[in-house]
Amino acid sequence: MSQVSGRLTGQSSVPKQAKANSRASGRSSSSRFRPILLSAASLLIAVLLWQLLSTFVFNPFLIPPPLAVIRAAIPMLLSGEIFADVSISMVRVLVGFLTGSLAGIVLGVLLGRVRLLHDLLDPILELLRYLSPTAMIPIAVIWFGIGEMSKYFLIFWGTFFIVVVNTTAGVWRAPMTRQRAAECLGASRLAIFALVAIPSAVPYIVTGMRVAMASSFMSIIPAEILAADSGIGYLLQKSALLLQTNRIFVALLTICILGFAFDRLFRFFVDRVLTRYMFYIAIA
Amino acid sequence: MLAIRYSPLTVRVLGEQPLLQVAGLSKTYSAGDHSYVALDGIDIAISKGELFCLLGPSGCGKSTLLNILAGFEPPSSGSVTSNGIGVTGAGRDRVMFFQDAGAALFPWLNVEENVRFGLRVRKVPRQERDFIIDKYLRMVGLDHHRDKFPSQLSGGMRQRLQIARALAVEPEILLMDEPFGALDALTRRNMHSVLLAIWQRTGKTVVFVTHDITESILLADRIGVMSAGPRASITKVFEIDMRRPRDLTDPKVAQLFRDIEALLAPEIARPQELDKMTVED
Repeated sequence: MSQVSGRLTGQSSVPKQAKANSRASGRSSSSRFRPILLSAASLLIAVLLWQLLSTFVFNPFLIPPPLAVIRAAIPMLLSGEIFADVSISMVRVLVGFLTGSLAGIVLGVLLGRVRLLHDLLDPILELLRYLSPTAMIPIAVIWFGIGEMSKYFLIFWGTFFIVVVNTTAGVWRAPMTRQRAAECLGASRLAIFALVAIPSAVPYIVTGMRVAMASSFMSIIPAEILAADSGIGYLLQKSALLLQTNRIFVALLTICILGFAFDRLFRFFVDRVLTRYMFYIAIA
Repeated sequence: MLAIRYSPLTVRVLGEQPLLQVAGLSKTYSAGDHSYVALDGIDIAISKGELFCLLGPSGCGKSTLLNILAGFEPPSSGSVTSNGIGVTGAGRDRVMFFQDAGAALFPWLNVEENVRFGLRVRKVPRQERDFIIDKYLRMVGLDHHRDKFPSQLSGGMRQRLQIARALAVEPEILLMDEPFGALDALTRRNMHSVLLAIWQRTGKTVVFVTHDITESILLADRIGVMSAGPRASITKVFEIDMRRPRDLTDPKVAQLFRDIEALLAPEIARPQELDKMTVED
């Protein structure tokens, strides 16, 4: 249906590559579900092993078995305590990640195109990007206090440098052939920049953002452990002080699930909105 | 009308002034205190409607010359004029056609949008765009693949899309840089027919770079044979006044092949010169 309307309007927003993929992997229902079944089996076996080992081999206080973790999680879920911490942390990650990505893309695009700007700013960026968000926690607290702003800043810091470096590389490496082709067709320098160089850089930008997303998840925890009174990191810290290993494991599992979910969401978004720009990989 | 395009001699009598003229052109690349003279003393006059092949060993500077004709690089000395006007950059009258269609096409745009790109940036009125796109997609036989993306096209289809995209902006001159070099032999033969049909129908002037003697004989009105670099120049120009499609088993074709090969033989036997090449060809 979307195919037909796409042809009528002369616009195809959903390239058919995805369809072809699903067709290729969907030869029979068993082969389609096999990866999912294998993943499920792998997770199930891991949980079983964890249960056995923590019951019979390791000290269950140090490594609480999954059942104990679930028992600890239920009241946290029911009271909404965990959701409050999750949403606080996620807002911090999102604000920092989105502003950091935006700033990184804007600056990266300019650095990839304007040689002078690149030569001027690159040395500074090259030095600063070795300062991990964790290294910046003490100064962030002095600058912004332990409120939300210091967390936004730290996530921004972690995201910005990764995205800027990737975006610069992507714009820089937009194929000369493609730019010349556009030039021949009559595109101005500005048009080549906007309509060729930037779209050519999208795969690099997306990759940078995915890496930055993972880094954001890693940065938010130390930031909240050291300088916060809410969020998952704070939950970890508080549980550790009270030696509640069950609750620590609940918090750790929550981080795993959230990171995974966010990455899937991001990929879903990319598949929906940016697939056509990712064809670059297929054709290169 | 068509007869004029068949015979280069007639064309040159009719067109008093060549469309594309290269005079005393040289190109030197310097890196530090090293300098490399890639091209030296190139003179060509190409008439309107002519299909001119630049034939030479790999690395001889054919592509460099084509890049200069396109206006991507300036010559070190000498001049290039198109329609009597000096070439200083990419111009509306010339469109370059690349071997690597994967890099040259816009992979995020579908077939139709790739053709539309040139019309958009040249500010062709909206209501005319669809008509032009239709016309050229039909000409290259891609009108049933409008919604496909370049990654979903075969190599031959990608090159046909490149042709349509170039023709849509209605240039006078097509500059083709070993356009079919990456295709398999059958697709290549097919593309030769496509190109000849389009050339005869549109009357475009074509400068076609190749290192394949057979290809140049099948296509060209004239073949400019280049020597290997450094200081590459056009050593001889062959005129082919034969009807197309040309028969490879024709003794005249075979003789021409032998003549050109004899001319290229010393170049082919000098591989050590290629090692010195610093210029991308």
